[in-house]
Amino acid sequence: MNLIRSEFRKIRTTNVWWLFAIGALVLLALSFTINALNMHYGVLHQPDGGGVDPNSEEGAQLAALATPVALTSYMVTSGQYFGLMFVMLLGIITVTNEYYHQTATTTFLTTPHRTRVIVAKAVAGGFFGVLLWVITTAITIPATAIFLNGEGITPKFGDPDVIRAMLLNGVAYALWALIGIGIGVLIRSQIGATITAMVVYTVGTIAVSIIVTVLKNVLHWNWVDNIQWAMPSIASGLMTSGTDLPGQPHYWVGALVLIAWAAVTGVIGTLILRKRDIA
Amino acid sequence: MVAVDGLVHTVPMGSEITDGEIVVSGLTKHYKQVRAVDGLSFTVKPGRVTGFLGPNGAGKTTTLRMVLNLVTPTAGTATIGGSRYADLAAPLQSVGAVLEASSAHKGRTGRNHLRVLCAAAGLPDTRADEVLELVGLAPAAKRKFKGYSLGMKQRLGIAAAMLGDPQVLILDEPANGLDPEGIRWMRDFLQALAKRGRTILVSSHLLSEMELLADDVVIIAAGRLVAQGSVEEIIGNASSVAKVRVRTPKPDALLAALTGATAERPEDGVLLLSGVTAEQVGDAALAAGVALHELVAEMPDLERVFLDLTAGKEAIR
Repeated sequence: MNLIRSEFRKIRTTNVWWLFAIGALVLLALSFTINALNMHYGVLHQPDGGGVDPNSEEGAQLAALATPVALTSYMVTSGQYFGLMFVMLLGIITVTNEYYHQTATTTFLTTPHRTRVIVAKAVAGGFFGVLLWVITTAITIPATAIFLNGEGITPKFGDPDVIRAMLLNGVAYALWALIGIGIGVLIRSQIGATITAMVVYTVGTIAVSIIVTVLKNVLHWNWVDNIQWAMPSIASGLMTSGTDLPGQPHYWVGALVLIAWAAVTGVIGTLILRKRDIA
Repeated sequence: MVAVDGLVHTVPMGSEITDGEIVVSGLTKHYKQVRAVDGLSFTVKPGRVTGFLGPNGAGKTTTLRMVLNLVTPTAGTATIGGSRYADLAAPLQSVGAVLEASSAHKGRTGRNHLRVLCAAAGLPDTRADEVLELVGLAPAAKRKFKGYSLGMKQRLGIAAAMLGDPQVLILDEPANGLDPEGIRWMRDFLQALAKRGRTILVSSHLLSEMELLADDVVIIAAGRLVAQGSVEEIIGNASSVAKVRVRTPKPDALLAALTGATAERPEDGVLLLSGVTAEQVGDAALAAGVALHELVAEMPDLERVFLDLTAGKEAIR
């Protein structure tokens, strides 16, 4: 408990947490706007189906997205993409700061049992992740209500699927802190870890989508479609999709993938840290 | 003058270990290419300031880090008050360590840096202000670490080490970056703590400072023990090599009058004699009617002894 208090204090006594919070909120506003425009023009008001055959898979997906439940979960979890990235970066920084500012020495002198330090960091990072989730959700709920009412749709906040999507979104925020901590232990350099993680998170996600699409369309390897769900960022979106869309695995597949990533990075990171010389 | 007497004991003194003896036994660390520390054994007694000396690259820092469980030894053990550092129930309340000056988050204030440690060690936050007062850093408590001078950083490191009011204090090159006033302050501070029964282990390569500060010394070179003992013993053992420096217009006449002396002639008219005392030289000169312009007994200092002892040991490996 003392250690968790200490880790909280480490986060609170620097500028990082509020700079990240501002960054996450600005990007939240941006992604909500993009999602709203996308829904408005892409899903709800597509001129004559936009040339999409309603009987194709894409058409079925669009139809499934247009239901109030799917729309509500989609809109209310807006900002997840960037929010998770900031939580991951916060996780990375809680570890790499110790090396960058050479505080690892003092930290491990105070607590020679290094696993405890990592657990405390995970708890503190997870708490800040959940806090960011609470704040973003508190903003997206009224924003979703206003947007959907404007579209003439009654938002379904009471629907179990929507509630599940919102709660799992919170779990995603906590798990990404843990993934960040794992990355921070694996890549000690502050700049190296943050840049690698951001590139993999943004460019990597898009790259995997493109590669999968190309392989699928050019070589007709339909099975590669399933590989993309192993990407933690894509899995996070799947986990919070509310309704099962046609052609997508169930939401809990996304949850399992994410938990696996968090567990693997966290455990490997901790095992490495326990052995590593602090010089 | 020394602030130690103003130390407010909100933490029971030496609450975790009663005897702060440090025992290093067969400690060894091999890196890929180098044996940084090679079968090193020594003990550090409570109630004394022990200087840990060695040329750069001798393995001082690696040894201290192995004692503190930061670096895993290839072989051997190190205990403090009978237990390994990792097994101490409350490490910060037993052992304080100052290892590197620049070890705080640059954007955090000195006070918050200490409070982070207070929280982790289960100490009350008020300890942060008490130790800041103790090291004379209270006026800069709310300033960010990046604005601290090297000397202030060093004081903050000592403040952090004193948070748990430990029985044992381990410092790696603490004089680095301190001005003469700061060095004097630290000397008085550490000696006062030793007088109160604490164990103080200080590594340094500043030998003149060590001679003033330390009661005992442990000298290592190339990862191995070269000598261990009180400063008097170490210098005393070397006093057989004490020399007498004489300046005289008639060096040859003086040499003829001396028995059992070996002489070097570093410059014209100067003799550097070993095997005789200054008294014998003076008496012999009077008897032989040789004028002396200078007669000095050159007592070896720690620096001379250190250089003699570590000579020929590769410093850089």
